[in-house]
Amino acid sequence: MPKKDPLTGKIKWYKSEGAVAVYSALISILIGMAVGAVIVVIAGLSKANISGAGIAEGIKLVFLGVFSTGRNAAGQLTFGFNAVNLGNMLFRAVPLIMTGLSVAIAFKTGLFNIGAAGQYLMGTMGTLSVALWLGWAGTPKALAWICAFLVGVLLGGLWGCIPGLFKAFFNINEVITCIMTNWIAANLVTWWFDAHEVFKNSQQGGKIGYVIPLKNVGVVTPKLLMDKIFAGSQANGGFWIAIIIAVAMWIMMTKTTFGYELRACGANRHAAKYAGINDKKNIILSMAIAGCLAAAGASLYYLSGNTEFYWSTYQKLPAEGFNGIPVALLAANHPIGVIFSGIFMSMLNVSGIQLKYLTAYNEYISDIIVGVIVYLSAFSMLFKTMLSKRIKSDHGNVNAEPAPAAVEEKAPGDTDGKTEKGGQK
Amino acid sequence: MSEYVIEMNHIRKEFPGIVANDDITLQLRKGEIHALLGENGAGKSTLMSVLFGLYQPEAGEIKKDGQVVKINNPNDATALGIGMVHQHFKLIEVFTVLDNIILGAETTGAMGFLKKKEAREKVIALSEKYGLRVDVDAKVEDISVGMQQRVEILKMLYRDNDILIFDEPTAVLTPQEIDELMEIMRGFAKEGKSILFITHKLNEIMAVSDRVTVLRKGKYIGTVNTKDTNKQELSNMMVGRPVQLQIEKKEAHPGETVLKVEGLTVPSKIHKNNAVNNVSFEVRAGEIVCIAGIDGNGQTELIYGLTGLEKATAGTITLCGKDISKASIRNRALSGMSHIPEDRHKHGLVLSYTLEQNIVLQKYKEPRFQNHGFIKFDEVREYAEKLIKDYDVRSGQGPITIARSMSGGNQQKAIIARELDREEPLLIAVQPTRGLDVGAIEHIHNQIVAERDKGHAVLLVSLELEEVMGLSDRILVIYEGEIVGEVDPKKTTAEELGLYMSGAKRNQEGGGADA
Amino acid sequence: MVFLLQQMMLYAVPLMIVALAGVCAERSGVINLALEGIMIFGAFMGVVFVRIFQGAGMTQDQGQLIMILAMILSGICGILFSMLLAFSAINLRADQTIGGTALNMLAPAIVMFFVYMIVAQNTIGMAQGGAAGWFMIKPSTFGHPKGYSYGAIGDFFLNKVYLTTYICILIFILVSVFLYKTKTGMRLRSCGENPQAADSLGINVFKMRYLGVGLSGFLAGIGGFTFSLTTANMTSNGDVAGYGFLALAVMIFGNWTPLNIAGGSLLFGLFKCISATYSTLDINGDGVFMLNEIGISPYVYRMLPYLITLIVLAFTSKNSRVPKAEGIPYDKGMR
Repeated sequence: MPKKDPLTGKIKWYKSEGAVAVYSALISILIGMAVGAVIVVIAGLSKANISGAGIAEGIKLVFLGVFSTGRNAAGQLTFGFNAVNLGNMLFRAVPLIMTGLSVAIAFKTGLFNIGAAGQYLMGTMGTLSVALWLGWAGTPKALAWICAFLVGVLLGGLWGCIPGLFKAFFNINEVITCIMTNWIAANLVTWWFDAHEVFKNSQQGGKIGYVIPLKNVGVVTPKLLMDKIFAGSQANGGFWIAIIIAVAMWIMMTKTTFGYELRACGANRHAAKYAGINDKKNIILSMAIAGCLAAAGASLYYLSGNTEFYWSTYQKLPAEGFNGIPVALLAANHPIGVIFSGIFMSMLNVSGIQLKYLTAYNEYISDIIVGVIVYLSAFSMLFKTMLSKRIKSDHGNVNAEPAPAAVEEKAPGDTDGKTEKGGQK
Repeated sequence: MSEYVIEMNHIRKEFPGIVANDDITLQLRKGEIHALLGENGAGKSTLMSVLFGLYQPEAGEIKKDGQVVKINNPNDATALGIGMVHQHFKLIEVFTVLDNIILGAETTGAMGFLKKKEAREKVIALSEKYGLRVDVDAKVEDISVGMQQRVEILKMLYRDNDILIFDEPTAVLTPQEIDELMEIMRGFAKEGKSILFITHKLNEIMAVSDRVTVLRKGKYIGTVNTKDTNKQELSNMMVGRPVQLQIEKKEAHPGETVLKVEGLTVPSKIHKNNAVNNVSFEVRAGEIVCIAGIDGNGQTELIYGLTGLEKATAGTITLCGKDISKASIRNRALSGMSHIPEDRHKHGLVLSYTLEQNIVLQKYKEPRFQNHGFIKFDEVREYAEKLIKDYDVRSGQGPITIARSMSGGNQQKAIIARELDREEPLLIAVQPTRGLDVGAIEHIHNQIVAERDKGHAVLLVSLELEEVMGLSDRILVIYEGEIVGEVDPKKTTAEELGLYMSGAKRNQEGGGADA
Repeated sequence: MVFLLQQMMLYAVPLMIVALAGVCAERSGVINLALEGIMIFGAFMGVVFVRIFQGAGMTQDQGQLIMILAMILSGICGILFSMLLAFSAINLRADQTIGGTALNMLAPAIVMFFVYMIVAQNTIGMAQGGAAGWFMIKPSTFGHPKGYSYGAIGDFFLNKVYLTTYICILIFILVSVFLYKTKTGMRLRSCGENPQAADSLGINVFKMRYLGVGLSGFLAGIGGFTFSLTTANMTSNGDVAGYGFLALAVMIFGNWTPLNIAGGSLLFGLFKCISATYSTLDINGDGVFMLNEIGISPYVYRMLPYLITLIVLAFTSKNSRVPKAEGIPYDKGMR
C-alpha cells in the first residue's frame, strides 16, 4: 500500500494506483517502439537497398512520424508542426477511442470483446445506408445525421448482444462467438451492399467496390472548430463527440448503481449473483453497450463525409476493431485513459503511413509495435507489481493485521482465481 | 540408528508479512502415531509442506534416521518414504482410481507406454491387504468422499511409503468412518510404519495417538505423551488460554414459523439424481435449526435452492407467510432472508472491490444509498464506517481497503456485519466458522446465539459435529439430499448422529423412492 | 463426388491437426487462443523455406522432399513462436487470453512487414512454379499416363492428393496415442485438470505446460503450412481466414478428445469446402452446378461455416467438459 500523505491522509498522486497504471503503460509503449526500431534496423541491414542513413530515417519516423513534414529540397526528412498530420491523427483516433471504449467496458464486466470488428461493420452498414437513403429522400440534414448515427449504433448494439446471449445462456466463451459473428458480419455487410446497387459508387470512374461517400448527400458531421485548428486535415466534431461519450462512460461505470453492478459481474459473477444482481442481464447489456460503442466509432468515421467504405469486405475485417484491444489495455480499461491511448494508437498509424511514403519500409511496422504492446500488457500486472514494490520499499507494511490465517487459507481448492479472473486486466 | 525416523529441528518458514513456522521442532518415532495439534493458521500445514518438499524452510534441518536430508520436492520426499494424504485431496477427478494411484509413479514399457496391468494387480493386492475397498476402474468424480480418501491412502502405499502424513483426515468422515480410519492407522503403526496425524480435534487425538506436538500461531508449544494429558490441557496449550468447550446459551423459545419448506427438490450438476430430493422442514423465530451431514450430501444445493442461486424443480418455500418459491434472488433477500454464504471468496465478497463497496453489496439499490441511479458515496462511507466500528472489522485502510488484502477472519467479519445488520427475520449461515481460529469462532457463535435471542430464525449448515451439537436447538440430518432424521441435540449422541449421517438410520421418511 | 470428398479432406485435415494443437495446450492447462497467429506464422515460414530450397537449386523432382522439409521447419517455427505465449502464460502468469490475442496480432503484422520487404506486394508465393506442379501426387508421379484412373476409391486416396494429408493424419494419430497411452501424456493431462495434485506427485507442471504449448505450436505450425499448401497454392498473405478460431470451435465441439475432433473437423471441412467451391461443385456429376444455380448469394455459403459453428456450439455446450485448470496460471505459492 502506498504511503499516505501525513497531512491530508490521501495517497500522493504520483504513487497512486492510477499513476502506476500510467507508468506501466508508458513502459509498454517504450518497449514496443524499441522493438519496432530494432526490426527497422534488422530489416535495413538485411536489405541491400537500405543504407545506414535509411535505417536512421526509419527509426526517426517510428518515434516522430506524426511531426514529419516530408522531405526538403536536399532530400532530408524535416520535422515540425504538421496540422494535416495532427488533425488526421485526431480524426483517425475517433474510431479507435470508440472501439477502445467498447473493449474496455466489456473488460470491466469480465468479457473479452474481440468482436468489435463485426460490430464496427454493422455500424458502418447501418449508418451509410440510412444516411444515403435519408439524404436522397431530402430529410433535413441534421435529422438524417442523427437517424443514421442511431441506426448504426443500434445495429452494432444488436450485434454485440449475440455473443452476450451465448455467454449468458449457454456459457460459451465469448471469444469464439465474437470471432464467428465478426466473419458473419463481414459476409452480411458485403451481401447487403452487393445486393443494393444504389449504394455503390459508380459515378466516379475507377472506384469499384466503394460505397458512395456521405459528402455526396451532405449528411456530414459539423467541423466544430477542428477545421480552424487543423486546417487541411479531416478532423471534425466527431472527436468532441467521442470525448463526451468517453466521459459519459466513465460516469456510468464509476458513479452509478448500473456501473457498480456491471463491475461486480465482471469481478466476481458468483458474488454478484448472490447479491441479487441479474448476472445474465448484465452480461448481455454490457455486450450490447460494447457493440453500440464500436458501431458509434464506425458511424462517426463515415459521417465525416469523405471517407469511403470498401464494401467487398468478406475476406477482411476492419483493423479498427482489433486495435480497440491495445487501446483498452494500454488505458487499463479506464474510459478517460482510452482517449489518450486512442490518440497514441492513431499516432502510430500516421507514423506508419509516413514510413510507407517516405522510406523503403512499410506501414506494418506500426502493427508490430501494437502487437508487442498487447503482448506486454498481458503481463502488465508484473510491471505494476514491480513498480509498486519499488514505491513500497521505502515504507513499512501498513497492513494492520498480517493474519496468519491468511496463509493456510490459500490452500488449494480456494475458489479465488478462476472466479476473480477477468476483472483486472 | 537414531531413535527417530524423522526429525524436524528448529524449522522456520516465512511468507511475505508473516512467519508461518518459527523455530519448530518435531520428532517422529518409528511405529508411533504422532498427532500434530493446532488451530487453523497455527502453521501445521506449512510444516508438513516443508517436510513434503513443497516449501523450503528459511532455517532448520530435517533428519531421516539421524542423517540430515534435503527435501527439494515431493519426489525427494517419496524417495525417503514420506507420503501424505492432503486435507484437500490431490486427485484428478476425470481420471480413474487406478490412474490416480499410479500418476507420478508409473511403470512404463518401451517408448514410455504405460503398463497398467502390473500396477492394477499391485493396487488390488494392497487394497485387499489393508481392507481399503476401492473400485479401481471408477472415475474419481463418481466415487464417494470416503473412497477418495482410501484412494489417497493407497497412493502412499503404492509408493511403499513408511512415513504417512494424514492432514485433517476426519473432516469429511462420519463418526463410524472415523473409527474405521483409526483402526487402519493403528494397523499401519503395528506394521512399523510411522504416522503423523494433523488435527484440531481433541477426541481423535485422545483416541488414537501416542504423542502430541502442539503448535500455536506458528510457534512450538510442546510435545506430550497422550496418556499423561487430557483434553482441557491440550486445548489450553492449543489456544493459549482456558477455553470454554461448551457454547453458553439459554433455553430457546421458538415463536411463529418464519421459514417453511415443502417438498423442495434441486437437481444436481454432477450426477443424474437430485442433489436435494423432496425436502420439507420449518424454522421458527427464536430457534437455531442446524442441517448436519457429511460434506456433499446436498447441503450446498439446499441453500442454493432456498436463496435462489439455483433453480428448484419442485417444492414451495414460504418465508414470513409469503410464497417465494419463484421469486428472484433479490426478492427473496428483500422478503426477509439474510445469508452468510459457504464460500466467502466465491459468493461472499467481490475481492477486488473495497470494503465499503462490499458492505453495500446487498443494499446499494436502497434509496438511502442512491439517487436516480447515482450512488451516494458519502452515505456509503458513513454506513461502512459505522459497521466497521460496530462489528470490529479490522483492515489496513478502513472503508477503502481492497477486500482481497484483508485477512480471512476479517473478511468473514465483514460479511457477518453486512448480513446481521440487515436485521432480517431469517438468517441462513453456512459454515460460518470455516477456517477461522478459536477466538473468531467463539465470537461468531455468540453472535449467532444473539440473533436467535433477538427473535430471529436461524438456519445453520455445519460440517463440524461439535458446532452442530453445541449451537443448535434442533438438528436435521441430511443424507444424499434427503432429511433422514430430526433430533434434539440434548438427547442425542455423536454416535447416533453418525448413524443418520451415514444413512444407516432414519426416522423421517424422505421423499421419492427414486433418489 | 470424389472431388467433393477430396476437397473436404483438404479443408478438414488442417482443421483437425490445429484443433488437436488446441487440445495439447488446453489439456496441459494453457488456453491457446494464438492458434490462428501460429498458423499464419507457420504458413509464411513454410513459403519462405520453400523459396529458400528452390533458391538453393532443388528441383521439381525433389518436390516431396522440399515439402516435407518445409513442413517440419514450419512446425519448428510454430514451436518457437508459441514459446512467446508459453513464457507469458506460464512463467509470468499473465492472462492467457490477452497473450494469445497479442500473438494473433503480432503474426500478421510481422508476416506482412516481411512480405512487403521481400516481394514488395501483399502476397508471397513460391519462387517458381505452383503448389500443384511441384507437390501434388498425380498419376504421373507413379509413372502412369495423364488421366489415368485407379477407380473411385483409388482416385480418392491417390489421384491429385498431397502427401501432407496423410502425414497430418499420421501425426494426429501419433499425438493422440501419446496423450492417452504414455506416461508423459498422462502427466500432461493431469496438469490441465489439477496442477496442485500433479505437483504434489512430483510432476513438473511448468515443464508439462511448456510441452503442451510447444506441441500445440508444432501442430499449428504444420497446420498453417498444410493450409497454405493445399488451399492457397503455397502462398501467404498474413491471413488464414479465421481457420485457427474455427479449429478452436471444433475443439470445443469435439469436447477436447481426439476422436470427436476428427469427426467434427470432417463436418466443418464439408461446410468450409462448400463455401469455397460451391460455384464449381457438381455433386451428382451431371454437369449442373446445383448450388450455384439455386441463386443464393455466395456470401450465404461463405458465412455458413461460421453460422453453423455458432449453432453447434449452442447445442453442444451443455455437455462440454473443459479441462478444469485451463486458463488458470499455476502458482507454486498457492499450493
